[in-house]
Amino acid sequence: MITKTLNIDYKDLKLSSSMIESVLGYKEGDDREYVKSLIEETLVESQEISNIKAQFIVFNEVHFEADTKTVGINKIKFQVGKIVFGQVKKADSVAVFLCTAGEEIGVRSRNAMKDRDFLKGYIFDIVGTEIVEAAADLMQGDLEKNMRDSGKKITNRYSPGYCGWDVTEQHKLFQLMPENYCGIKLTPSALMDPVKSISGIIGIGENVKNNPYTCRLCNQNDCVYRGIRERMKQKV
Amino acid sequence: MNEILNRIAQCVEFGKINKTSPYPPGMKDQDGADELTRRALESGVKPDEILENALIPAMANVGNKFSKKEIYVPQMLMSAKAMNSAMAHLKPFFQSGETKRKGKFIIGTVSGDLHDIGKNLVAMMIEGGGWEVIDLGVDAGAEKFLKALDEHSDAIVGLSALLTTTMENMKKIVTAIKEKYPASKILIGGAPVTKEYCEKIGADFYSPDPQGAVNYLKQLVS
Repeated sequence: MITKTLNIDYKDLKLSSSMIESVLGYKEGDDREYVKSLIEETLVESQEISNIKAQFIVFNEVHFEADTKTVGINKIKFQVGKIVFGQVKKADSVAVFLCTAGEEIGVRSRNAMKDRDFLKGYIFDIVGTEIVEAAADLMQGDLEKNMRDSGKKITNRYSPGYCGWDVTEQHKLFQLMPENYCGIKLTPSALMDPVKSISGIIGIGENVKNNPYTCRLCNQNDCVYRGIRERMKQKV
Repeated sequence: MNEILNRIAQCVEFGKINKTSPYPPGMKDQDGADELTRRALESGVKPDEILENALIPAMANVGNKFSKKEIYVPQMLMSAKAMNSAMAHLKPFFQSGETKRKGKFIIGTVSGDLHDIGKNLVAMMIEGGGWEVIDLGVDAGAEKFLKALDEHSDAIVGLSALLTTTMENMKKIVTAIKEKYPASKILIGGAPVTKEYCEKIGADFYSPDPQGAVNYLKQLVS
């Protein structure tokens, strides 16, 4: 079992105003000067208040049940659904990860919304999501590099609540982590606190592939991973 | 009178909050929805007229433009804020009963789901449509909706979900509401939700966008 904690600096995330503008839907030529200034302001504030943490634990005791689309990690069974199962079934170990942007960014978003400064609240929300996803990208990259050294590959990352994997399974996922791991707590309805946090699994093995998210199999149109996929396509 | 109502409507539609707000650049240093609404009331324009002839049509234009993808979420949020600055002047008239809202609307993101942007957009547009909005926030279960209905039994209910997995909680909430308040009207929305799913769980209406929700409510009271 390998456990790793990553110290991620905000600057390493390389977030930019243009990335956030693209998430907001703006395209080349759209007038967005005012929004751009608000985004830049929010990015500066976010650098001061974010508290980024990322950790993963690699479990070697894993098994897969094709009939029920179940993944067993350390004797805990996860019904991950067909999309996630299809991506991780060839893994011979699984990394369980947690990643957070910290408490304050979610608080600022909620407070701005409460004060009816909707746009500021919305931009904080988007920036918080981008921070935690960018941090998870770095964590995933670190895991990939570690595994490459031993001749192994990794899958994409998959989280409860997405790709058809029930969000309540997050309770079981947290059983695999030490208490207060990454400072993230789980509410009875399986929500993470701080809100700008992600948890999930990554398959590891010689026969796995890092496929793009299979969004065509899912009907969650506004999913963050569909957005990431679209942006990746635009970059190509 | 039409002149000032038109200007209020224009401020709301384009998100001009007050004189000091820098947005939109084309209306810089001009009075915003805040100052114009105050001035309209001072000059004797009835609050009802401001609501019916300026705020509601302006927000309807915003909703329609958003539905047609002519504007993005930030522009819609700026309009909502401008509308709020106007609404603040109308609040005493709502409280005294001099100005009547169209009805009450209870909204919340269902249990297990923390996503509130979509829910907030719908709430803003419905408020802009002249309704009193009771916002239950996120992670709201059947108990919370029933408690709100106990207090506002004539309210229409809106449920929001962003995750395919939490969408299933809509069914539990719809069942619980319909059991206790069979005559209640429930509309649902959110990225994974469909018209078919709405029919399957016994909800009354599905809207893919905020303006659809406003139009449904309008139709219920017309």
